[in-house]
Amino acid sequence: MAVKNLPIVPSGDPGALVEAANYATWRIFRPVITESAKVNPIVTLYCPDGAITVDESGAEVNYKLCKGCGICAKESEGIQMVPEYTGPKGVF
Amino acid sequence: MTIDFKNLPKQELFGQGNVGCKGCGAAIAGRQAMKVLGERTIITIPASCMATLGGNNTKTTWKTPFYHTLFECAPAISSGVRAALEIQGIKDVNVVSWGGDAGSADIGFQSLTGAAERQEHIIHVLYDNEMYMNTGGQTGSQTPLYAITSNGALGKKVHKKNMLAIMEAHGIDYVASANIAYPEDLMNKFKKAASKKGFSYIHILAPCHRGWGIKPEETIEVARKAVECGMWELFEVDEGKRTRTYEPSFIPVADYLKAQGRFKNLTAEQTAELQKSVNKYYGKGE
Amino acid sequence: MNKVLITGSEAAALGAKLAKIEVLGYYPITPAFPAMERLSKYIEDGELNCKFIRVESDHSALASVLGGSLAGARSYTVTNSQGLLLMTEVVYHAAGLRQPIVMGVANRALSAPHSRFPEHGDAVSQGATGWIQLFSENNQDVLDNTIQAFRVAEELRTPVMVNYEGYLQSHTLEEVFVPDQGKVDAFLPLKRMPALDVTNPRGVNTVAGPDVYTDYKYIQNAAMEQALELIPKVAADYNREFGANSCGLIEGYMMDDAEHAIVAMGSIVGTARLLVDELRKQGKKIGLVKVKTWRPFPAQAVNQILKNVKYVTVLDKNIVFGVGGALATDIKANLYGQGSMVINGAILGLGGGKCGVKEIKEAVDHTESSENKNRSEWIGL
Ligand SMILES: Cc1ncc(C[n+]2csc(CCOP(=O)(O)OP(=O)(O)O)c2C)c(N)n1
Ligand code: SF4
Repeated sequence: MAVKNLPIVPSGDPGALVEAANYATWRIFRPVITESAKVNPIVTLYCPDGAITVDESGAEVNYKLCKGCGICAKESEGIQMVPEYTGPKGVF
Repeated sequence: MTIDFKNLPKQELFGQGNVGCKGCGAAIAGRQAMKVLGERTIITIPASCMATLGGNNTKTTWKTPFYHTLFECAPAISSGVRAALEIQGIKDVNVVSWGGDAGSADIGFQSLTGAAERQEHIIHVLYDNEMYMNTGGQTGSQTPLYAITSNGALGKKVHKKNMLAIMEAHGIDYVASANIAYPEDLMNKFKKAASKKGFSYIHILAPCHRGWGIKPEETIEVARKAVECGMWELFEVDEGKRTRTYEPSFIPVADYLKAQGRFKNLTAEQTAELQKSVNKYYGKGE
Repeated sequence: MNKVLITGSEAAALGAKLAKIEVLGYYPITPAFPAMERLSKYIEDGELNCKFIRVESDHSALASVLGGSLAGARSYTVTNSQGLLLMTEVVYHAAGLRQPIVMGVANRALSAPHSRFPEHGDAVSQGATGWIQLFSENNQDVLDNTIQAFRVAEELRTPVMVNYEGYLQSHTLEEVFVPDQGKVDAFLPLKRMPALDVTNPRGVNTVAGPDVYTDYKYIQNAAMEQALELIPKVAADYNREFGANSCGLIEGYMMDDAEHAIVAMGSIVGTARLLVDELRKQGKKIGLVKVKTWRPFPAQAVNQILKNVKYVTVLDKNIVFGVGGALATDIKANLYGQGSMVINGAILGLGGGKCGVKEIKEAVDHTESSENKNRSEWIGL
């Protein structure tokens, strides 16, 4: 029998979920930056997942972290939600 | 809004990769608060969505010390953490307990009132989704009048317990309400709370789209309506001095209530009654 | 080393003071409160540098102490009976988090009916929690066990309860030898192991899936088994350093040629000694086994010491309803298949009920005359 190598105090590594995350399969729609200059930086504080950044070089979505909730597109111009799947009708 | 985005810390101490639902209001509250609290923060979170979404097995979204406590006792745990830091001469750490409405106002109330009365040097946050979401959305003391929940299909028959008034009555250093649609206001309040030497209480309205019967993308919009209609007042009581920190535009309460599935059975009379009480509160006649 | 006349409560407080506890969370309960009052006085008088958290409940008492421990401080509390039951959720939790908390338990009966008097029901209710449990025969044991408890807890990252009985010990004066502070400091070097540390952040108690939960519990149980080796070593070290006579897991008295063994824990051990002395004078080959360590259960040591006896009388100041006394149940399970001795459990002294030499003699006689072998007998009804 092999016991798994676990910390003595049951606990998780800090930030380890950030690397492990892949929420692509959670999304039905994905946010797409259509006009970077118009994106209101407030969405960086509205996104629950820290998936969108806005700085001098423009707005960017990290699609590993984004769950496709649509808050950013609702709260700001320059972002549009587009269907993640475009298969035959009835499938998605 | 006059947030200085350039100087906002880039570091994401909490939120990325969290295992909460999409559009989670609690996670939004956590991200905004952590931008102010910073790296030198120890946070204790009792059983709740916020505790659960923090991590799984050996992975967590938190980059600061985070501890998923038992349901009733986060403020007591934080009191012990503060004591241990003091005895070690560590002075520059924020000690925060962060509970849901049940973990703060109901089962967690005893340890909260205890820690507040002792004027412990901690910040307690109640992130309020107005029901017990981690167990599926049952009614609690913070569920508002008439709201439908998973165990109350006919809507709540009694009003929401006024936790802000109760906490204010403790005579603690700082009491504030906040709302995730107003990050500047929220972050200013955390800044103030972090500068206090005694107990601070911040009560954040943070909608849960599943419990409230709204779409995930409406989380911020509905939160904003709660403030603009006057049902969620943004204010603070700083060392006893009460200030309204935002003047609402007074949209009809119906705009806020009708946006949510949990109020779908609200009658015209009930809506009018709620509008009346808001008008009365703000001195706008009946 | 100096000699003082103190109560068990004072011995517990003195043990915690000598261990230089740093965080004390406490909620008053009879008859545990004198230990806390003594400790808060030490703090107020500046004799002990410790943060006292005046919590609003027993649940919060252990929670605050747990918070202190998680943030790296040596932490202690005292409770019993209803307080311990209210704490139970935190008791399990603290063990699962592997925090080296030490808790004095001034054992008291559980309600209902309401009682303020001694027995072991409260401690026994916590027998599956993952805490090491030490029992004290006298006030010297209370002090010695408290100091040793910190060493054991910190080496194994497992919390320890030090049991001593309400009133019989908590409020009774006895002569106690007090070790020198300097030597205790050397015996208990402070090694901080904070799990909540801003310089080394971790997410504590993240939700564990079925793939890791069993492993965590295996590792936790392994530490309990290690305690069976560590506790005697720590006691031996302690005896060497302080010239003390503290027992490890168990201790035999007059057991070399004994045909009948009394097995007991707590204050009743001292009473049973008197009976053994008396019966030995009459030529009866009887001995006594003192169980100091009840959790983990010292199975091998018990087997070894009882292997040649014909009769075993187990004294239990507790009742597990529908089963019998907790210690008797453990002993029977443990001796299963080891021989043909008669093992009778005696339930006595519940809620402060009589448990003197006469009652113990009755239990012993019953074991030897019993037609119903291996059953529990209620004494003193
Ligand atoms: C002692 C105890 N009782 C019940 C539970 C089950 N429980 C876990 S979370 C929860 C509800 C949490 O509600 P709230 O504090 O409002 O936070 P939310 O999940 O809504 O964010 C309940 C009832 C528990 N974990 N512990
Ligand atoms: S869709 Fe939701 S999760 Fe994705 S970037 Fe926008 S706000 Fe963040």
